Amino acid sequence: MDWLQNISITCFAASYAVVFILEISRVFFDVSFRKYVRVGFAAAGLFAHSVFLILQGKLVLGSTGLWLGSWFGWCLAAAWILALAYIWISIRQPKSVIGLFLIPLLLGLIGVGVGFGHENQFNPMRAKSVWNMIHGSALLLGTAIVALGFVFGVVYVVQSRRLKHKAPHSKNFRLPSLEWLQKSSEFSLIISTVLLAIGLVSGIAINWINQSDGAVSSGGVIAWSNPVIWSSGILFSWLLLVSVFNFCYQPARQGRKVAYLVIASFLFLVLELAIVWWAGHATTYLKPSVAEHPASHSVFVEWPSESRRSII
Amino acid sequence: MNLQVIGCSHHLSSVAIREQLAFTEQQIKPFLNSYYSKFPGSEAVLLSTCNRTEFYTVADKPSSVPGKSELIEFIAEQRGLVATDINSEIFIHQDRQAIEHLFSVASSLDSMVVGEAQILAQVKQAYQLAIETNQTPALIHRVFQSAIRVARRISNETEIHANRVSVPSVAIGVLAKQIFERLDNKKILILGAGEMAEETLRYVIHEGGKDFTIVNRSIENAKKLAAKFNGRVGDWNALEHELASVDLVISATGATEAVVSSDQFDRVEEMRKQKPIFILDLAVPRDFEQSISDRSNVYLYTLDDLQKECERNRQSRQSHYPKAQKIITHETDQFFDEIQRRSSGSTIAQLKRQADDAKQLELDRLMNRLEGVSEKQKSEIEQSFNRLVNKILHPPLKSLQTESPQVSGGLLEALKKLFQLGD
Repeated sequence: MDWLQNISITCFAASYAVVFILEISRVFFDVSFRKYVRVGFAAAGLFAHSVFLILQGKLVLGSTGLWLGSWFGWCLAAAWILALAYIWISIRQPKSVIGLFLIPLLLGLIGVGVGFGHENQFNPMRAKSVWNMIHGSALLLGTAIVALGFVFGVVYVVQSRRLKHKAPHSKNFRLPSLEWLQKSSEFSLIISTVLLAIGLVSGIAINWINQSDGAVSSGGVIAWSNPVIWSSGILFSWLLLVSVFNFCYQPARQGRKVAYLVIASFLFLVLELAIVWWAGHATTYLKPSVAEHPASHSVFVEWPSESRRSII
Repeated sequence: MNLQVIGCSHHLSSVAIREQLAFTEQQIKPFLNSYYSKFPGSEAVLLSTCNRTEFYTVADKPSSVPGKSELIEFIAEQRGLVATDINSEIFIHQDRQAIEHLFSVASSLDSMVVGEAQILAQVKQAYQLAIETNQTPALIHRVFQSAIRVARRISNETEIHANRVSVPSVAIGVLAKQIFERLDNKKILILGAGEMAEETLRYVIHEGGKDFTIVNRSIENAKKLAAKFNGRVGDWNALEHELASVDLVISATGATEAVVSSDQFDRVEEMRKQKPIFILDLAVPRDFEQSISDRSNVYLYTLDDLQKECERNRQSRQSHYPKAQKIITHETDQFFDEIQRRSSGSTIAQLKRQADDAKQLELDRLMNRLEGVSEKQKSEIEQSFNRLVNKILHPPLKSLQTESPQVSGGLLEALKKLFQLGD
């Protein structure tokens, strides 16, 4: 099984790129066997992706935690969830070209991970606790689902625009129905809010534990002066507000509004991730302003330097 | 095989003639029985639809198939018409042309709306009636089973049937599906109770629609339509309230001016709480004011919009026509090759049998004259005779098998004459 060790990012990124090219080709011409090739490449990419995460990333799902190592690993794991979602959507909505919108996001996440993530290693000194695992997993899953919601929202806007402008119906450019997109957007909004709430609460719990152990000397259970904490708080408040608004106010969950809400949520999330990355949250390299208020969040093992070289 | 088709269709004949020559299902069997009593020795199929009446006759011998004038006389007599009145509007195709025509008809390439799906079912029904009337329809089987297979092949290999071309089917089968995932849980409002409303309602039901309300100025017509499809009748005066709760509206009234104004729809929109609505305005003049479509959650399609989509689909179907035509030409060639193979097969068998008989006769005569021949020598002599016969027959038989059907057809006839073989 030595060949599994040789799987690099190029393997699965190339598979996804082929899937994207096949998705583009669907717009121009029809070939009956292409769907099998497309899903086959996506599945092969997902397999290589999984092997890479397990072997190269030394991902361990054990009693002590889920290890992703760095922002690089985190981005790859988020991309893995999107790849899984792509296969699921390809089976549920085989005729729609939703991959045209989803695959670029997936490739973008891999690109961000490769381009920026590997410099920021998660702090190995963080406690390997269940809370860390919950915190990291919930935020990871929440982020991937917000990204998925963003795709549904964008596709809703495109589909709605096509219908409003009476664009000619094309057999080669089919999108899911507005009803399906609206329901999927709503679902992603609710699930991501719950997951981000879990992430936030588990972060508070980690802080509280660290404070009890004396690991953190100041800043209280919630270190409000930390930009990661307040921006996470704002993001969660936004999602909560949107979900409550969506639940209580009927027009908010009708038509394009829900699409706009999930798109806005994603943009909010991108901003939040930028702050998290900039602040060096949970990583070994901490900016001075943040180092004063170290947040006790996810702890992950280091990525081997060889795997990073193989990427570049 | 001698095949011919005689008949009328929308390409050549007027509606008046087509109506006069049309047969109902009940009239077909008596017609075929009359044909068999007058022209025994051939097989026949009558295909009668709203756009065509075609009578296919087929026989092994050319003399068994009646000529055009005889058939026109017969059909005219059966329909109570004068043959000379219909003569100019009747077409006739024979052999290859007839097969190509049947393949085109079954594949709906010859239909008024190219790619329509009903014609194949009608061809199958005509075939079924024909085999019920004839005890030994061997030739009909061969011809019509080939036609059905070709139609299926064209359906699988081209997209000639792919796009919908009627207004209600495009509206419900294409557009509604882009908005709604399913129709069985949607509230549907039908404005009007005329033909268009009814036809569209059929598609709605076909796609799973269950909960529909019919609103019409004349409540009697609304009740009739509602009773026919098990729907609910709504109050015309409470139209705004009806519009407030539905997901899909099909409007096809005969009103001379808009039934729903923009101001009225403002009030409806307030009640709807921005819930999306799909409106199919199939009326001329339109039932919904055009400015209603400017609202963000309103998807309003008029008859013009739908007809444009239908036209695009028609053109798309036409674009697959050459590929389908190519399949028909190829299949027609194969059909005649097969006929030729069968025909030459029986002639070859006959020739071999004749040669074997002659060989056996000469062999027996020789054996009777020779004395003191061992079994081994007898066997040698017999094998030698066999080789001789095979060597003589090999070149002509090889030519028959390798030449094109046109050439081998002539060779076959020559062979029959030269060796005095029967039919």
